[in-house]
Amino acid sequence: MSITLDFNGKNLAKSKTLDLHYLPAKIDGDGEANVEQYFNNYTREATDYGSGVFTNALRGYPLMGQRLKVPEGFKGLVLQETEKPLSESSDRQLRLTGVFEEFTYWNYDKVPSNGDAYRQALIMSDVAQALAQPINEQDLEAEIARNKENTKTSP
Amino acid sequence: MSDNEDMEIKQENETIEDIDEKEDKLEEEDITETNKITSLKTLGPFIASKENSKNTVYLSDVPAVCKDKPCMLGVDEAGRGPVLGPMVYGIAYCPLESKKALEDLGCADSKQLTEEKRDIIFNDINTKDYATSCIGWAVEIISPNTISTSMYRRSKCSLNEVSMDSAMGLIQQAIDAGVNISEVYVDTVGPPEKYQEKLLKRFPTFKITVAKKADSTYPIVSAASICAKVTRDHALKVWNFPEGLVIKDNAFGSGYPGDPVTKRFLAEHIDVVFGFPRLVRFSWSTAENALADKAFDMEFDEPDTEKPKYAGTKLTKFFKGTTKSGEVIREECRFFKQRHLANVIDF
Repeated sequence: MSITLDFNGKNLAKSKTLDLHYLPAKIDGDGEANVEQYFNNYTREATDYGSGVFTNALRGYPLMGQRLKVPEGFKGLVLQETEKPLSESSDRQLRLTGVFEEFTYWNYDKVPSNGDAYRQALIMSDVAQALAQPINEQDLEAEIARNKENTKTSP
Repeated sequence: MSDNEDMEIKQENETIEDIDEKEDKLEEEDITETNKITSLKTLGPFIASKENSKNTVYLSDVPAVCKDKPCMLGVDEAGRGPVLGPMVYGIAYCPLESKKALEDLGCADSKQLTEEKRDIIFNDINTKDYATSCIGWAVEIISPNTISTSMYRRSKCSLNEVSMDSAMGLIQQAIDAGVNISEVYVDTVGPPEKYQEKLLKRFPTFKITVAKKADSTYPIVSAASICAKVTRDHALKVWNFPEGLVIKDNAFGSGYPGDPVTKRFLAEHIDVVFGFPRLVRFSWSTAENALADKAFDMEFDEPDTEKPKYAGTKLTKFFKGTTKSGEVIREECRFFKQRHLANVIDF
């Protein structure tokens, strides 16, 4: 099985920016939605909680949200599969629907904070960078020298 | 009701229409001022100018005598049961000695009055000198959006709590506006004792009476009831859907779950993702059931906040390291677990 991502740098640059919402609910269905009239129309800034916090509701459930940027050095992509694979072993093709630099993150009745699972998960990008970044000779020597220094001074 | 009274109402209706026509001309001149309710005619435009997903409070001018002389204040609500539209809380107040004005207005049990009669009394309260000189009123329109989101909070806030907060908020606003309150009469559907206790705690200096069907016993409660009911009816009439729906004459029925017009409205206006327009109270079981059948299933993150009580480490925990066939189960690293990260091969 192989997965083809059907786009290149050129159509990445040209593709449209999408307005996205990260919702705290699992919706059991696919398709278009009247986001503008049924949702965006009701987004209000909740000044009680400081600037940049928004309120809205989904099916009567209160939401509190915030605009978030994708981490630095990353780009947000929305990919769609037009044909469902027939079997697990068949090849798959994903097409580019659009890109995003920002999106609105919503919590169910909770002010967004660093404790949110989403933000906790993103710490992984820092860890991954630290683990994968190449280390050059000079940095390595400097680190060794520092360690030696430390063992000398400590009794 | 005798035929005689019927006739009288009809005549009054005609005079109202005459007044309305005159006001029409006036309004054209001073381009609809929507910040003030000065008659029945100005009620609709006032409500329409406000956001219908939020609560709106309106206080009439306080008559000068209400600041000097001790007053009675009545509290009642309208639109508690319906699955559609706002719930409205109303208060009305006047000096203890001005009972006569209430009687002249014809304040009686608002549910016994016809819609026309209520409209006439509401108009009189705001236009007739004998009323405006001694009777003041206020309403809070509690939006259906607020009702749903309050009832669906993580720590649920019942409709009773929403109601009491609104009632106490309105009384407080009347105090702040300078009304010299001495007696308070409240209509309630629930048990009166608890409610009375709560009100006395907050307003210990007033003589407070909470009673069932107070709107038919105390004319001042009846006046409050009329203000609330007329406001609720108008709020539905001028409801403007931010969702872009257009319903002819806003004919969605009484809003009571049993009303066939309301039933049809609910059945025909389901959005598979968002459910209903926010005219609907999502927290009503009628609405929930309609969505369970026709809309996409939706499951919220941690809808229940109740956590199981910690009862210490389970003895069986120590035997959980292997499967029956003897394979070793490795527990996920805490760093990944806490961050909700896992290996994914299929997606």
